[in-house]
Amino acid sequence: MKEPKIGVYICWCGTNISHMVDVKAITEEIGDMPNIKVSRNYKYMCSDPGQDLIISDIKKHKLNRIVVAACSPRIHELTFRKAIENAGLNPYLFEMANIREQVSWVHTDIEAATEKAKSLVIAAISKVTHHEELERRTVDINPATLIIGGGITGMTAALDIAESGFKVYLIERDNKLGGVVSKVDLTFPYMSSAQQLIKSLINKVSNNKNIEVFFNTKIKEINGYVGNFETKLKLQKKARELKFGNMILATGLKPTDPESIHEIGYGRLPDVVTALEFEQMLIKGNIKTKAGKEPNNILIVHCVGSRNEKYNPYCSRTCCMTALKYSNQIRSALPKTSIYHAYSDMRAFGKGCEEFYSQTGRKNAVFLMYDQKNDIPTLRRAGKNDRCNIIAHMYEKLSGEDIEIPADIVILMISMEAHENVKQVAHAAGVSICSNGFFMEKHPKLDPIATTTDGVYIAGTCQSPKDIPDSVSQARAAAARILTSISVGKVEIELTTAVVNEDICGACHTCINVCPYSAISFDEEKKVSVVNEVICKGCGTCSSACPTGAISARHFTDKQILSQIEGLLAVSNKLSEKLEMEEV
Amino acid sequence: MEFQPTIVSFLCNWCSYSGADLAGTSRMKYAPNIRIIRVMCSGRVDPTFVLKAFSEGADGVLICGCHPGDCHYHEGNYKCLRRFLLLQKYISQMGINPNRLRLEWISASEGKQFAQLVDEMTEVLIQLGPNKFKEITQPA
Repeated sequence: MKEPKIGVYICWCGTNISHMVDVKAITEEIGDMPNIKVSRNYKYMCSDPGQDLIISDIKKHKLNRIVVAACSPRIHELTFRKAIENAGLNPYLFEMANIREQVSWVHTDIEAATEKAKSLVIAAISKVTHHEELERRTVDINPATLIIGGGITGMTAALDIAESGFKVYLIERDNKLGGVVSKVDLTFPYMSSAQQLIKSLINKVSNNKNIEVFFNTKIKEINGYVGNFETKLKLQKKARELKFGNMILATGLKPTDPESIHEIGYGRLPDVVTALEFEQMLIKGNIKTKAGKEPNNILIVHCVGSRNEKYNPYCSRTCCMTALKYSNQIRSALPKTSIYHAYSDMRAFGKGCEEFYSQTGRKNAVFLMYDQKNDIPTLRRAGKNDRCNIIAHMYEKLSGEDIEIPADIVILMISMEAHENVKQVAHAAGVSICSNGFFMEKHPKLDPIATTTDGVYIAGTCQSPKDIPDSVSQARAAAARILTSISVGKVEIELTTAVVNEDICGACHTCINVCPYSAISFDEEKKVSVVNEVICKGCGTCSSACPTGAISARHFTDKQILSQIEGLLAVSNKLSEKLEMEEV
Repeated sequence: MEFQPTIVSFLCNWCSYSGADLAGTSRMKYAPNIRIIRVMCSGRVDPTFVLKAFSEGADGVLICGCHPGDCHYHEGNYKCLRRFLLLQKYISQMGINPNRLRLEWISASEGKQFAQLVDEMTEVLIQLGPNKFKEITQPA
């Protein structure tokens, strides 16, 4: 190994890090350590000038190891690796210390935070000293794409990819395409037909030769890695194996079960309907009570299941505007019917939505505000002498009065949840689920389409509640990302796989037994284990099981991690020694 | 000054490290006693790492992985669990209180649970006092 010449860069992240960590003190102290040629701090290391600082130092001081102490490596590890590569250094001779997410943002004591940050930097220095150059491997991308979910999101993405001339496998668990949009009458805020929209998409998808649709199909297991995934489908008549380079998860939404919301009389009172049930009335052009009468009063209850810790803490984003859409549709179909909105806050953030809200407000609808946190309106059957079916009781927040609202039909604006198959799909595709049950994106702001698994994208309401324009935007964004990767044709894969030192392999087969991917085989001639680097995913389980230390996980070798531990504890060891000295 | 323990922690890249990052992006506050090492999978945590941490003076070691059934590598967390159970017995025979070693499942969405876990473990270690193992293995 060449003598290490290490450059250490501590980021302020504006004030995100520097307000809690004394970056200057650490820079100075680190600068005095052996093998450290450069030690600097800078306001934004990830910015172009920040990266240029590293690049010019590598060239000027012939640095051969780099440590950046900044945010989580999950955010900028690749940024810095690229910069280092641009300077002509192998990108793996680099290590990050996470002093933002795991220090400055979570601690409140400057001294303790600085001490911790220092020990993380020293640990990174100790680890990077033992880093080895790794060559990246490129693999060809299979141009086919798998899309799970045949709703508006899945179909839009499928068409974008297929119309560019590439194969798409579209998996739909139902026996028809269209998803939730096919159950909707008109769309807000321009009152155009959802049926027309979705039917023309279904037609295009059905007639596109590059799209193969699989109905009544569920995905159980997906193997492989970006560029080369595969899955086996169990179809009615035969099994089918699909190979593809990328995938989009567009599994869509599930409305919250209205019976789980106890305050509301769903199932108990016949004329309490969910939004999707009311859409059916609108599609049929038949707004009637169960008894077949025209309603004199319609109550629309907002936020049913949304923005409530008991059910879903989040806003479902589309219900306010859908409720206004109903208001308009009812008003034009039944000019004399009274319309009441029991709402908690009106949210009209989309394009054209605020205008839609103020127009609807002028069309004879009563808006009554309820206290969503404490008190959802309760519904009861009306008495014989009442001139309505249902009476809703609520505390009207603005007037401060307890009121009763007459209703013949009550429409529940039910919250949106991720589809129930989300867990199964997440497991098959190797992606995470957020605390609200939706698929988790790679980065909430910078990369909401991608996931932490390369080649797996998420779009539409499986990522979070959203309306049609947002779902379609995500679908097209995901398709564009995939088309980019297809047009490049190759993808670089991390070479952080396992590798066997044949000289000390004891032929015990332990690694072969623990490998979850069957990536290790036994060479009968040489009597040693052999790793298939294409199959190995670099989990390192074999390395920690190997009794002789023959098999090691690249970039996470025993030596690297053991020195990281030493570095991590160096600061507190020094401190406790100092304390003991003082005590003596 | 009250004794401040040092915890060395091994977090799997996919679930637990993301969970710890989430605690950060959500600005949750927890005890600064923990020092995190990222490994790709909890299955990578070699017993040697744990013993090394104790012998270098760590007062506690915390291993976190994906919940059972959610491992990015299918079953690395189960292998970690098996090793952990043996390791706990092993360290207690070496005179280390087995409560100094913990294995917990933290998903990518469990930032809050992670923060609570760190606070709770720090409390336990303050009660247990400093780890004397280092003095045995590395006499001055």
